[in-house]
Amino acid sequence: MAYAVETRDLTRVFAGKKRRFRRKRAASEGDEQLGPVTALDRVSIQIREGELFGLLGPNGAGKTTLIKILATLLLPTSGQAFVAGHDVTKDPFPIRQRINMVSGGETSGYGLLTTRENVWMFSQFYGVPSKVAKQRIDELMHVFGLWDKRDAKVRLISSGQRQKMNMIRGFVTDPDILFLDEPTLGLDVNAARTVRDYVMNWVGRERGKTVLLTTHYMAEADEMCDRIAIIDKGKILACDTPEALKRMIHTQTTFRLEVDPLRDTSTFQGMDGVVNFSLKDDASKNRTELTFILEDEAPVAEILSAITAQGAKVHALRKTEPTLEDVFISMVGRGFE
Amino acid sequence: MNEVSARRSDLAFRIALNLRSIRGRAYPRIIGANREPSWIFFEAVLPLLTIAAYVFIYRAIAANQIVNANAETAARILANTNALVASVVLGGAMVAFWLNVLWSMASQLYWEKEIGNLQLYMMAPMNRMALLGGMAIGGVFMTSVRAISTLVAGVLVFGVVFQVADPLMLLAVFFVTLVALYGLGMFFASLYLLWGREAWNVSALLEEPIFFSSGFYFPLGGLFNYGGWGSVVGIVGSIIPAGLGLDALRQLTLGQTAFGGKFWVLSAPVELEILLVLAIGFLVLARYALAYLELLAKREGKLTSRHQ
Amino acid sequence: MSTYWRTFKTAAWLGWEMDSNWTEPWLFLIYSIIKPVAGAFILVFMYVVIWSINGIADPQSFAFLYVGNAFFIFVGSTLFGTFQVIQSDREWYQTLRYVYISPISYYVYILGRAFSKILVSIFGVLITLGFGFFFLHVDMRFTPDRIPLFIVSLALGLFVLLAIGITLGAATFLMARHSQTLAEAVPGVFYVFCGVLFPLTILPSWGQSIGTAIPLTYWFEITRRILLPFQYNTGLAAFGDWEILAFLLISTFVFFGLSLGVFRLGEYLARKAGKLDMTTSY
Repeated sequence: MAYAVETRDLTRVFAGKKRRFRRKRAASEGDEQLGPVTALDRVSIQIREGELFGLLGPNGAGKTTLIKILATLLLPTSGQAFVAGHDVTKDPFPIRQRINMVSGGETSGYGLLTTRENVWMFSQFYGVPSKVAKQRIDELMHVFGLWDKRDAKVRLISSGQRQKMNMIRGFVTDPDILFLDEPTLGLDVNAARTVRDYVMNWVGRERGKTVLLTTHYMAEADEMCDRIAIIDKGKILACDTPEALKRMIHTQTTFRLEVDPLRDTSTFQGMDGVVNFSLKDDASKNRTELTFILEDEAPVAEILSAITAQGAKVHALRKTEPTLEDVFISMVGRGFE
Repeated sequence: MNEVSARRSDLAFRIALNLRSIRGRAYPRIIGANREPSWIFFEAVLPLLTIAAYVFIYRAIAANQIVNANAETAARILANTNALVASVVLGGAMVAFWLNVLWSMASQLYWEKEIGNLQLYMMAPMNRMALLGGMAIGGVFMTSVRAISTLVAGVLVFGVVFQVADPLMLLAVFFVTLVALYGLGMFFASLYLLWGREAWNVSALLEEPIFFSSGFYFPLGGLFNYGGWGSVVGIVGSIIPAGLGLDALRQLTLGQTAFGGKFWVLSAPVELEILLVLAIGFLVLARYALAYLELLAKREGKLTSRHQ
Repeated sequence: MSTYWRTFKTAAWLGWEMDSNWTEPWLFLIYSIIKPVAGAFILVFMYVVIWSINGIADPQSFAFLYVGNAFFIFVGSTLFGTFQVIQSDREWYQTLRYVYISPISYYVYILGRAFSKILVSIFGVLITLGFGFFFLHVDMRFTPDRIPLFIVSLALGLFVLLAIGITLGAATFLMARHSQTLAEAVPGVFYVFCGVLFPLTILPSWGQSIGTAIPLTYWFEITRRILLPFQYNTGLAAFGDWEILAFLLISTFVFFGLSLGVFRLGEYLARKAGKLDMTTSY
């Protein structure tokens, strides 16, 4: 089976900051973070042609590093990565012909050019004939609602419009494999909907088109992706369809509680029947939202009494269907935020 | 991959791809620059003032020298001063190209990284030299306006008289000098790929010292005639193609006998040959340096890091 | 007042860090020396060339231009210091919007940033003058009785420069990526018309009129009167030392007033045109 993307034990370690020219400073606590960071740790994934594949993980999980390696912008420290059957380290040219990438919150482009000119310029770097490029740009401008701004200089458009322009830049070269790194970041609800619909339609419509999407929006990943890899601290924790991932914890029970802020949550750790839990503070309500993944419903009474023992009040308690976030919590013991 | 993903990679496609890339990258410089009306004023008119300052220095000193001189000496001083003024005007025109090489070629990839374009360039299949070539062609276009306006103003305002005996040779020297200069700019651009703010400071550092060592405002032979360290500085300055290029251009526009024929470094044809070697050398060097440093930047993760 | 002082101090610290922390201090030191010394060498060799071509030495003209050029380092760096703040904050670091909306005076902030440049340039001026005196034997003298006059004239000159810098710098609120060119071109105007390298008398009459209208011309005049041991016909002999100081003082007030007005107009127009956070690279 031909894979659009395949990685084998892919590892990327960022070396500590070298002080080649920089001013020396006395060692301090802050210097510790300058040490080597393992952004990807033996990552092995296979993405089939025509698949819309999601990478789900919190900030700093290694999603963008993986995309940079696949987009030939960064070399792996060890392991291998293949895109369209070509090794990213040894054979980047045929890969570059087939890929494109769009990152959320991107600020690229030349301020003095119009949106249309900016996209056209990038199409030239892929050898798209001008006539074809212009035709595609006009079509895409209509699709993404940027037609009114086609002749506006980039420095005069909003960041959301800039993001749409970059989406168009990603599609105008008609890539076989598109890397979308948080593509809906900073877009309003309607624009994000348009992007999601277009991407899903594009993969469905065009045989063999593949998308690797990174996101930390659970619902987006759940809705769009054929398969999802959950990544944290550079490691792939699980990889399957959204349904299958959720089924992984179907024997478990998810409870959400809304309580007063708690002084101590250590009592929940190691409590019998608690698989994992996470907490999220809601400053606006001065409350804490607790999510428990339980083996069954038995520990609920013990949890409630532990909360009330701290003098905190339980405002809401509900049993919910498992979400992708619950899968993540069940695996690493914390949510995305 | 299936038929959807079949992509051409033959020579004809690659040539077309790279030509399109050159055009694409030159476009923002040519069009974008023209869109900013203030550009014409700042790029073309105001820099003339620096040239005027140097012209007046020569004239002021010559005016003092002429006070007690006899008629013959006075005539000689006037002729020399006019040739020096013409040298300044030519140097001022070439300064525009050197500044463009420093600020819009050498530092450009660093600037592109800062605004987030570099990763998009480096992900595209075109040859990196096509990218730099597009930048260079756009830069030459932008800068030519400034250089031509300097020359025209020099002729009109300062009464400079050029005597061109061999226009073909003049064009050849000018063209090869530009190729060598922008080849050097491409080489610098690749070196700057690994740098952060150092890039900006290195460009700033390559202004006055190069104006001096390449003889932008005085005949380069003045350094060589000084002997000792003057010759060393002159040789270093000659590696920057503008130095030898200017020397040849001055010979071809002022005549071999200007300044008594004692302030030229080498003859114009020899200088053209050296410039040709430099042009090819810098382009080849740029090609390999860029490939190597791109690899290094990809290894160190510096193609995409911003504000390092 | 304490807010102004805090803003000034912080901006000066920031300017210093931006200028110097890209490298080791010793490398920054060399960098700070090479640029002005190389700039001086261009003039030295222009003089050497015209001297050897025509066979006539003119040490007084050489001293005139050397001292003028050394003090011009202040002009270049102060003007650049004020011009590039808005442009670099807006387009490079993209922090202009955040600094601008903070409850500080952006005007004072620019003053602080420019002040760090002045501090660095003092070093460049001293090196250039020292090099000229000890190695090139430029004809200079510096007697203790002239020190107070020198300090007053230097302070007034720098104040005028700052005020002019901010007046012109406010224009960069509305400009695309041209402050580099502006920073190169505006000093060019002063280089030509302020009698920095040659006496005003060499300029055509309209050029002399422009020169006598720019306060910096008088600053260069009095600086040379203090440092050069000979009289040089500059066309300003009619003005006494105290007249020049008074003129510099008045100019300082006038230009500071003007800078406030132009600055407010610049920011108003930039806000109106939505240019406070534009990026215009090409």
